[in-house]
Amino acid sequence: MMLSFFTDLFTQEFLLRMLVAGILLGVLAPLIGSIVVIRRLSFIADTLGHFSLVGFSVSLFLASIGLTFFFEKPLYLGIIFSIVGGLLIELFRRYYKNYKEISMPIVMSIGTALSAIFLSLSNRTGSLYNYMFGSILTITNYYVVIIAITLGIVSLLFFFFGRQIVSVSFDESSAKYQGINVSLFQFAFIITLSVAVSVLLEAAGVLLVSSMMIIPVAAAMKVGWSYKSTQIIGIVFSELSVILGLWASYSFRIPSGAAIVSISILILIAVVVIKRILTRKRVKWSREDVSDNR
Amino acid sequence: MLIDIVDLSFAYGHRIVLKNLSLSLSHGDFLIVRGKNGSGKSTLVKCLLGINPVKSGMIFFEHADIVGFRGWTKIGYVPQKSEDFNYEFPITVNEILTVSSRRSTKNSQKLKLLDKLGILPLLNENINNLSAGQQQRVFIVRAMLNEPSMLILDEPTASIDKDNVAYFQKAVNELHDDGVTVILISHDEAIEAYRYTHVLTLDSESDFTFRNRAQHAFWKEGAER
Repeated sequence: MMLSFFTDLFTQEFLLRMLVAGILLGVLAPLIGSIVVIRRLSFIADTLGHFSLVGFSVSLFLASIGLTFFFEKPLYLGIIFSIVGGLLIELFRRYYKNYKEISMPIVMSIGTALSAIFLSLSNRTGSLYNYMFGSILTITNYYVVIIAITLGIVSLLFFFFGRQIVSVSFDESSAKYQGINVSLFQFAFIITLSVAVSVLLEAAGVLLVSSMMIIPVAAAMKVGWSYKSTQIIGIVFSELSVILGLWASYSFRIPSGAAIVSISILILIAVVVIKRILTRKRVKWSREDVSDNR
Repeated sequence: MLIDIVDLSFAYGHRIVLKNLSLSLSHGDFLIVRGKNGSGKSTLVKCLLGINPVKSGMIFFEHADIVGFRGWTKIGYVPQKSEDFNYEFPITVNEILTVSSRRSTKNSQKLKLLDKLGILPLLNENINNLSAGQQQRVFIVRAMLNEPSMLILDEPTASIDKDNVAYFQKAVNELHDDGVTVILISHDEAIEAYRYTHVLTLDSESDFTFRNRAQHAFWKEGAER
């Protein structure tokens, strides 16, 4: 049973589709996640996930009253609501200048409340489980295309504006004097993040979307020696989590988001433990060196 | 004139911090702004940097009004302790300087500045592994990269240990010798190590005195007697 994932890949089309989607998301999540981590906005992905859920719930609600278009493609409304959530966060951040983090719980609770209302109105609370913890196994072709397009756009943004993105992320206050339009960057970033979060929801689920973006980066931060190396290591950790997570999800019938995040947590723990052991050894060696020299 | 401040006043709510401040600086001047905590040093810097909106009075930078100003790249800014920088995420000195350069900035300019500030060997070091003084010097290189007409340093030696302060003062003097206009904010009394041309002293009653070097020396001599 444990190996059937790899043999089934060649016979079951949905598995291959899932793997392709997973690999694309495995690059997208840490790419955006690293900027989220640098700017200390880890909570924002969670908030946007909750707001994106409103879009999915509204799609289900519309289906229940006969409008089925969004039922087949709930991602569209998911993206739109996520962007609305992102803009609301920015709005509240400007309103509460000295308590910027207050915007997150406000927007998150609006999202949770609206999702609950529309889900119960649609009488489809059963699908909540998939949205909460991820259900990449049921992913459709159109979804894979949207993931690929999102990743393509994000990669192009990094290719053309990487310099500005990194500069503003590390030091917002000095970016202005390098000729960077900081407000425009904030706006573009929140839109990109909103889209990425709703695209990631299918695989990770609302509750785990921020973990999928952040944990591989958090582990990579402890091993990387430069921005570039940390980014690459983050993507490697993320891909490892996705591939092993999908295998576990398929083999043991557990939600994909839970499986992927569990693997990434194992990687994080391994990194922390190995680093500790190496540091202790290094201290011991240097102490021995000192005593030898005496 | 590079900078013209005309009748600048600034208040936080009802608390007046700057009152009718006027001064002019030419290209190549070196101004030290002194004053105790709360005397308005940082407020003045924030007005010059366009962070605090100027509502009463005017500031001109190369004859352009700071309200609606667009040429911010002409100003190099080194914030106090660089506390706004997001530390801990790995990034090398070279990477910071590369992302902070404009396309027109030459690599040789970067290396020259690093050498001038004595941190060329740290080019490929992770910024998080450097001392506060070394980090501060990296931020000066960053501020100077795009060849601004003016360098603003906000309490630059606050987090640097004594040995590095002398090195730092020498580096700032050398940049000034190269023709860079410098505005340096300091709560420190020991300013004689700098080759300043003007001193602005702010006091807590939102009063100020603006003297050139000779006037400042004369006043100091009198005060010490």
